Amino acid sequence: MRPSPTLALRGIDKRFGHVQALSEVDLDLYPREVVALVGDNAAGKSTLAKVIAGVLSPDAGLIEMDGAPVTISSPSAARALGIATVFQDLALCENLDVVSNLYLGQERRIGRRLDEEGMEEEARSILHSLTSRIPSVRTPVAGLSAGQRQSVAIARTLLGSPRVVILDEPTASLSVSQTAEVLTHIQSLRDLGHAVVLISHNMTDVHAVADRIEVLRHGRNNGSFVGADASYEEIIAAVTGASPLVPPDHRARRTA
Amino acid sequence: MLTDRPTPGSQTSLREANRTRIVNAVKQFGGLTQIELAGATGLSTATVSTIVKELAAAGVVDTQTTSRSGRRALKVTLARRLGLVAGVQFGHRHLTVALGDLTREIVATQSMPLPPDHRVDTSLDRAALLVVDHLERLGSGLEELLGVGLALPAPVDEATGMIAVRGLLRGWDDLHVGQVLSKRLARPVHVDNDANLGAIAEHDFGAAADVQDSIFVRASYGVGAGIMINGRLHRGFAGTAGEIGHVQVDAAGAICRCGNRGCLDTVVGSAALLEMLRASHGPLTLRDVITRAEEGDPGCRRVIADAGEKVGSVVASLASTVNPQRVVVGGELAETGETFLAPLRDAVLRHVVPNAISPVEVVPAALGDRAEIMGALAVALRGVDVETSPELTSSPRATTLDPEER
Repeated sequence: MRPSPTLALRGIDKRFGHVQALSEVDLDLYPREVVALVGDNAAGKSTLAKVIAGVLSPDAGLIEMDGAPVTISSPSAARALGIATVFQDLALCENLDVVSNLYLGQERRIGRRLDEEGMEEEARSILHSLTSRIPSVRTPVAGLSAGQRQSVAIARTLLGSPRVVILDEPTASLSVSQTAEVLTHIQSLRDLGHAVVLISHNMTDVHAVADRIEVLRHGRNNGSFVGADASYEEIIAAVTGASPLVPPDHRARRTA
Repeated sequence: MLTDRPTPGSQTSLREANRTRIVNAVKQFGGLTQIELAGATGLSTATVSTIVKELAAAGVVDTQTTSRSGRRALKVTLARRLGLVAGVQFGHRHLTVALGDLTREIVATQSMPLPPDHRVDTSLDRAALLVVDHLERLGSGLEELLGVGLALPAPVDEATGMIAVRGLLRGWDDLHVGQVLSKRLARPVHVDNDANLGAIAEHDFGAAADVQDSIFVRASYGVGAGIMINGRLHRGFAGTAGEIGHVQVDAAGAICRCGNRGCLDTVVGSAALLEMLRASHGPLTLRDVITRAEEGDPGCRRVIADAGEKVGSVVASLASTVNPQRVVVGGELAETGETFLAPLRDAVLRHVVPNAISPVEVVPAALGDRAEIMGALAVALRGVDVETSPELTSSPRATTLDPEER
């Protein structure tokens, strides 16, 4: 009934010395869907994101894109596959303006000259498609609010028109109106047809935009919920371990 | 007015176009410094400075000195007199906050996605913070806020400000929503049903502006209607007038949130529409259905068209009772245009009592998705005692904001 997932992870294992960070984790990502990855601290959310982003390579497991196995050996390999990630620290250059930040390392050129107008034009249209409130694409990032920085970081992921966008804690330490902005961006990303992974602690934010909520606990899958049906209580129970592990066959029925 | 329009491409028309760009940018961002304006519009700082001076002289914008990143800067905001009012709209899945001045111009607005069955405490808290945040963004504070209008997707008893029918908005029943927000913002809060506010806005400056009797149908996650009789909103004794979502259409149907059976909402509410598509299309959101219908997906179009027909037959009974000149259709489903509207119109005309003198017209909302929030601003404004010049409120500022016309 459903097309094969854009990105599928099967039985991913990752250990750091004696710490088993991920253990047989499965995750399917479909286009036009926001999947929220929730869990306690050290549940393996960010590790999983790093595996997808090519920062870490898994010890075991299979990664498939459109049904074909792939190896994501480095962040640039992930980019080439159409996977874009916004990490918590955003990785923006304070002293550069919005356009330079967006195109850093992937500048557009006409001959030997930089295509400044072209880049500015595209930057403006991408920010517009995200309904972003950044007034000027020539302001240095240092002069932007936390929410505006987040939207620059999200806009940067859109440059190569990726198929999967991963956002690690995008609403942490933002004011309400900045959160509103970022959540609206996430909805736009989804409506543009991307598969979006949202990692967050804030259950209200997760519920507001997620189509599916995947719970991780101690590096294992501990439940999968349809965003519109799941109650806060159910999800908190899965996060804290108050409810028993949802068996895989039950999970399949829920998400179908 | 058309005759003395400057020829396109001329110096004058270019300056006019630049002026519009600047005003639009200020409108979009609330308040901007001149440097930011230059960036937002792509104009040179010199041009921006000249035009801002002109606009300030014409009374379109206000300027004030602030500092940005440690440097002196001139902040440009839309000119407003006498203060601001706030409109807050809670939907089933979103929250919209808007600030308007006393000339009914919206000077700032922001939407935010909300979870399904969002909690009343979190949502009200977010609304209050958004209002304050946007006041600050405009360079003003709470003292400039005069009143608040609040739209809820449930019938509201005007006298008490409480939700009149239990169960429609889960968890919101026992709270005096208006009082909570009023305590937070220290300003009067007027609470009303979203369809009622949409009806007021469409009557005041929308698709029903030239008629006295109209019905505003709001087809969203649920269906509601606002009834204007003789130019005034008819709320009914306890605020449940126009609740067409709870008219029975199927005696053997499912139990509704309100406790009755087979209500229109159980047939055309978002849950029912999405359930119909689940087997063929998988889990979708209402937004998905609307987008796909616009893209031409036959299944989604069919579901919306059938919903239009069902809503139309209920609206027909209401129209037979009230005899409006016009039925204005708004809400998310109406965004699909004639896909929803044509079957609705056909059903209304088929079932309504035939009227030889003036058959009822069925038209789309002129204000689109802003109808409810503009209604909220309008009622907030009505609650404000305006002791100042009456011509200000009686002649709303031209929405084009063309300084030549002022």
